[in-house]
Amino acid sequence: MQQEARHRWAPSASKTLPSTTTTTYIETLEPFPYQTLNNNNNTSSSSSSFFLPLTIMPNGRDRTSEFQTTVRTFASRRNGLDGPLPTTINRRQHPQSPTEQRGIFMQHAKRIGNDLSQTFLKLEQLSMIAKQSSLFHDRTMEIQDLTLSIKQDIGNLNRQIAQLQQYMRDTNGVKSKNSQTHSSSVVFVLQSKLATMSNDFKQVLEARTQNLKDEKTRRDVFSRNTVASSLTAAPSIANGRPSVLFRDEQRTTSGGDAVIDMGSDGGHHSSMKQQLLAIDETDTYLATRSEAMQNIEQTIVELGDIFTQLATMVRQQEELIHRIDANVDDATSHIEGAHTELLKYLRSVTSNRWLIIKVFAVLIIFFLIFIVFLA
Amino acid sequence: MKILALFVLHKEGDKNVRILQNEFNLDSFGYFERRGVQPLLVFSARTVTERTALDTRQSVEADQNVNAMVHVYVRRDGLASVLVADSEYPQRVAHTLLSKVMDDFTAMYPPSSWGSMGEQTGKMVSLGETLKKYQNPSEADPLMRLQKDLDDTKDILKSTLVNVLERGEKIDDLVARSNDLSFEAKAFYTTARKTNRCCTLF
Repeated sequence: MQQEARHRWAPSASKTLPSTTTTTYIETLEPFPYQTLNNNNNTSSSSSSFFLPLTIMPNGRDRTSEFQTTVRTFASRRNGLDGPLPTTINRRQHPQSPTEQRGIFMQHAKRIGNDLSQTFLKLEQLSMIAKQSSLFHDRTMEIQDLTLSIKQDIGNLNRQIAQLQQYMRDTNGVKSKNSQTHSSSVVFVLQSKLATMSNDFKQVLEARTQNLKDEKTRRDVFSRNTVASSLTAAPSIANGRPSVLFRDEQRTTSGGDAVIDMGSDGGHHSSMKQQLLAIDETDTYLATRSEAMQNIEQTIVELGDIFTQLATMVRQQEELIHRIDANVDDATSHIEGAHTELLKYLRSVTSNRWLIIKVFAVLIIFFLIFIVFLA
Repeated sequence: MKILALFVLHKEGDKNVRILQNEFNLDSFGYFERRGVQPLLVFSARTVTERTALDTRQSVEADQNVNAMVHVYVRRDGLASVLVADSEYPQRVAHTLLSKVMDDFTAMYPPSSWGSMGEQTGKMVSLGETLKKYQNPSEADPLMRLQKDLDDTKDILKSTLVNVLERGEKIDDLVARSNDLSFEAKAFYTTARKTNRCCTLF
């Protein structure tokens, strides 16, 4: 029976390639009628069926040790990728071999590069949106979210690069000179990439503020509101955001070796901002002057209006005055006439004595006749 | 509303700024504060001019806590002037003043000599007078003066209009009274005539 079994295995061995012997053997471990073998090998082996191929195959190689080292390297590599950077660096197992250190260093550099490229993509997206958003007002939320995420990414990247640098410095004693220069140049490249990205970010922010300002002036042209009030608000906004960004960066790059030098850029930045504002200022000045002129014009027109109103009212009153004049003239004439009548009456009363004497004389004669006849 | 300082400067290139003349009016500060405030104003004027491009005007708030505004106008030919005033001073008047000062300076010193003038060599007597005159912007600036006169005239006219209305009322009263008077006079006349015409007593 043993011979039979050997015979069964042998043709499969001849068919396959010699290099992949181990795997092929494992693959072709078919449902084996080990029961029969167990029955046959009752005396020799009481162990499990796994050891059967080793005992059966004389021309196979035992490569389990290689297999185990490969598994170990895979496991270590996976551990390096999954775990966060500080824990793998801090949990320094004495002694870490130089190759392991380099491996870890390269992994982290690779990760930082990946993050950098992702942040670049986000930045491109943000710049596209910022250029477009002169018409749509709903994009402000997107822009703010993107800005926030990009800022966080930049901060993270800064921290990671700083840690990488620290790690490189800590493990520098073990490596050769060439590997030292290599590590330092890798860190330098990452830092310069980060610097260019933050510059681009700054430019995008500036473009966005410029867009906002243009929008506002356009809106003000149509609504004729004073631009002066917006000017005092704009500088604080425009200078506030980039300066916060600078402060964050300076805080995270505590090592001081960072290539990012924002100090001198800050001055140019504010002068640029002031230049951006200066163009609005001349417009504002001219706008205020024209507004003052228009005010004066309006005042003069109102003055004219008041004058005409005055003239109308006075003319209306003139008519009334004519009436008064006529009434008073009438009164005067009537009183004059009455006065004359009274004078006539007085004259008649004073100059009428003869008639009274005559009347009285006739009365007395009549009285005498009446008394003589009766007495 | 007051002006603290007035400068005339010359700007060459981007960094080379020379102060040609300056005038100060620091009476509002205490005696001991003045010595510190003056260099600060000079420095801020120089800095602001350096940061301003040619042919632009700017008005910058000097500090959040301090009640001061810096107005600057850099002309195309390099001459610049800076006015430091408090924040209530109207911006338009400030810029008009800056243009006027520079025109006066140009009239007094020809443009060719600006490049060769050193610090503080340009002496224009009228600068101090201008500073004093413009402390009260509504008197000095022509536009504001015109506006003020017009407003005064408008007020006077409004009061005149009110007077005319009162006059109208009085005239109405007079009309009524004269009407009554003429009626009474007529009645008086007819009565008098009646006593003369009618039957003679006795």
